[in-house]
Amino acid sequence: MNNVIAQCLTAFVFGSVVGLLVQRSRYCNVAALRDAMLFKTYRNTKALLVAMMILTMGFTAFITVGAGKPLHFDVGLNTFVGLFLFGIGMVLAGACTVSTWVKAGEGNVGAIWALLFTFIGMFLFSLLWSFTYWPPAPSTMTGNFNLAGLQLGFANAATLQEKTKIPAVVFGAIQTLVLYGLYRAILRRERAGAGADTQADSESAACNAWTDNDKVVPQGAARVTAEQST
Amino acid sequence: MELFKKTLSPVAAMAIIAVLNIFLFQIVGAWTVGGGETMMTGLIAQMVMGDSLSRIPFWNVAFPPDPGYWKIYISLGMLFGAVVGAVLSKEFNWHMPHRLSEWVMITIGGLLMGIGIRLAFVCNVSTFYGLTPEMNLGGYLAISGILAGAWVGTWIYKKSLEG
Repeated sequence: MNNVIAQCLTAFVFGSVVGLLVQRSRYCNVAALRDAMLFKTYRNTKALLVAMMILTMGFTAFITVGAGKPLHFDVGLNTFVGLFLFGIGMVLAGACTVSTWVKAGEGNVGAIWALLFTFIGMFLFSLLWSFTYWPPAPSTMTGNFNLAGLQLGFANAATLQEKTKIPAVVFGAIQTLVLYGLYRAILRRERAGAGADTQADSESAACNAWTDNDKVVPQGAARVTAEQST
Repeated sequence: MELFKKTLSPVAAMAIIAVLNIFLFQIVGAWTVGGGETMMTGLIAQMVMGDSLSRIPFWNVAFPPDPGYWKIYISLGMLFGAVVGAVLSKEFNWHMPHRLSEWVMITIGGLLMGIGIRLAFVCNVSTFYGLTPEMNLGGYLAISGILAGAWVGTWIYKKSLEG
């Protein structure tokens, strides 16, 4: 019981720091993808890549020595399709799982509405799952390729290390280099794209996609984005 | 305090969160939100439906409601931290979308997010800050899915702006 309380307390403290930092930085996962695609601005995309680089090195270093608690479940077609639906949903809602909570904490009723319908969507899916039993419940997963269940099985840095005998952190370093390459490409694009004006638009588009409280007034489509975001 | 007067760099904020997430990975597991939201859905449904919820197999087999599920408290913590940040920086204010089209988009978006999370067993947070840094095969599938979905969503969004 004490262990459960300690876990919940740890999670709450972590969540509180995340909520505070995300609120103060106006970071947004939706903007990291949407603004890069729609406005070619990368304020949030760069932050996303930096976090992924740090995490890749950190997680794979611990996995190399058998430490850490990696996620463990089979993946398959449902993983791709589920996140495909999620990707459409987060752009339409103007918020993801993090920003719905953070914007709700700022008093944004649209975010609370999005959160409510996320719960309703989950409940509707639970009804559907109770007829189809697909994708397989974690308790029935095998970790192996399963054509009938459209599952590819389980593989991560630990299984890579086990099969190749090469430390997981080496693969982590390769992935980090790829992410760094993307980060550098964004920096080059920003420099080539023109400096001050582009940067100013970038900041205002990203910030205004986050909240209507910002004092920066964006131009054109960025203004509409602000109005439509939750 | 300076933190509540200026906007923090998102790169710095996410770098700090990433380092903390590495510690969390050691203690309970990587940062995730979708699992906690699913458990909250189950707990709310249990409050509304009582024992009849157990007649729905999903809540028996896959996700039996449990208030001691640690992932719930990450979401509650994020809400708490955001309220603290917004109040101390004087940015808290009740506001809502003005147009009907916005309410419709948010409703459809919320439903799709909920269905997508349960179908995939992961959300965007697990995708970017859990599975992919663990080099899990699911991370690459999920990233492909979310990029394709975000592209389609952006296209719909753009059309709605033009229309």
